[in-house]
Amino acid sequence: MAGKKVKSNTPKQDLSVSKSKLTSIKAPAAATKAKAAAVAVKKGTSNKSTRKVRTSVIFRRPVTLNNPKKPAYPRRSVNKINKMDQFRILKAPLTTESATQKIEVSNTITFMVDMFANKSQVADAVSKMYEVKVKRVNTLITPRGEKKAFVTLSPEFEAADVANKIGLI
Amino acid sequence: MAEKTKAFELRTKNKTQLLEHLKELRTELSSLRVAQVKSPNPSKLAKIGTVRKAIARVLTVFNQTQKTHLRAVYSKKSSSKIPTDLRYKKTRAIRRRLSNKQAKSVTLRVAKTATNFPQRVFAVKA
Repeated sequence: MAGKKVKSNTPKQDLSVSKSKLTSIKAPAAATKAKAAAVAVKKGTSNKSTRKVRTSVIFRRPVTLNNPKKPAYPRRSVNKINKMDQFRILKAPLTTESATQKIEVSNTITFMVDMFANKSQVADAVSKMYEVKVKRVNTLITPRGEKKAFVTLSPEFEAADVANKIGLI
Repeated sequence: MAEKTKAFELRTKNKTQLLEHLKELRTELSSLRVAQVKSPNPSKLAKIGTVRKAIARVLTVFNQTQKTHLRAVYSKKSSSKIPTDLRYKKTRAIRRRLSNKQAKSVTLRVAKTATNFPQRVFAVKA
């Protein structure tokens, strides 16, 4: 209407932006963080933890940190050599009548062997020394305190041939 | 095989050569042992002794040279980083004693008094 006074174009709402509101519009994440921090200060940060369900009466140590060894220097300057090699294990073969019988009949060679060698070591030693395959080893300790080993070769190998090669005949 | 293995000749050889030589000697020894059992021949029996000593010589040279090389390698490092078998052995008790430096160490105060007030020696004039 013509008579009405033209009001200034001031909006009824207060659109002036205050500082706090400005920050909240620009960075809502910061505001939530601030709120969370305030809550933490007030209530503390420990979560309400649920009790672990224990299904056994026994308490077993849980898996703990295990760092691998990383020595600054080796304790031994040189690694130990394995002295129980084929030369030490097999002392000498036997050439008695019963031993020669066994060569022909049962395809076995008898050795006097180191007392502290076990059957698998004896088998290893024989196969290394004479390039044969060992089927079985039987051992006994003689009343003299020496170990005697009866080494049966696998059927592909002839004990007689090996005996010839060694020099037993 | 040579008449007599000599250590100084062995020292000229390198590691692999020594180990090969050792293997030859040991196979020879094993064959001699077979002969010892089967048909004792006095010449062969005498040879057993020389072969055994030769083996000992080779092993001694091998181990000695190995150790000296290792010591040379580790001599550049600080004494706390050397393998324990290359350190001085002495006795267990001696190794746990205070070192000379530690035993002689003295507070600054004591050192100063010692320098400023040493033990005086006087002589009575006849």
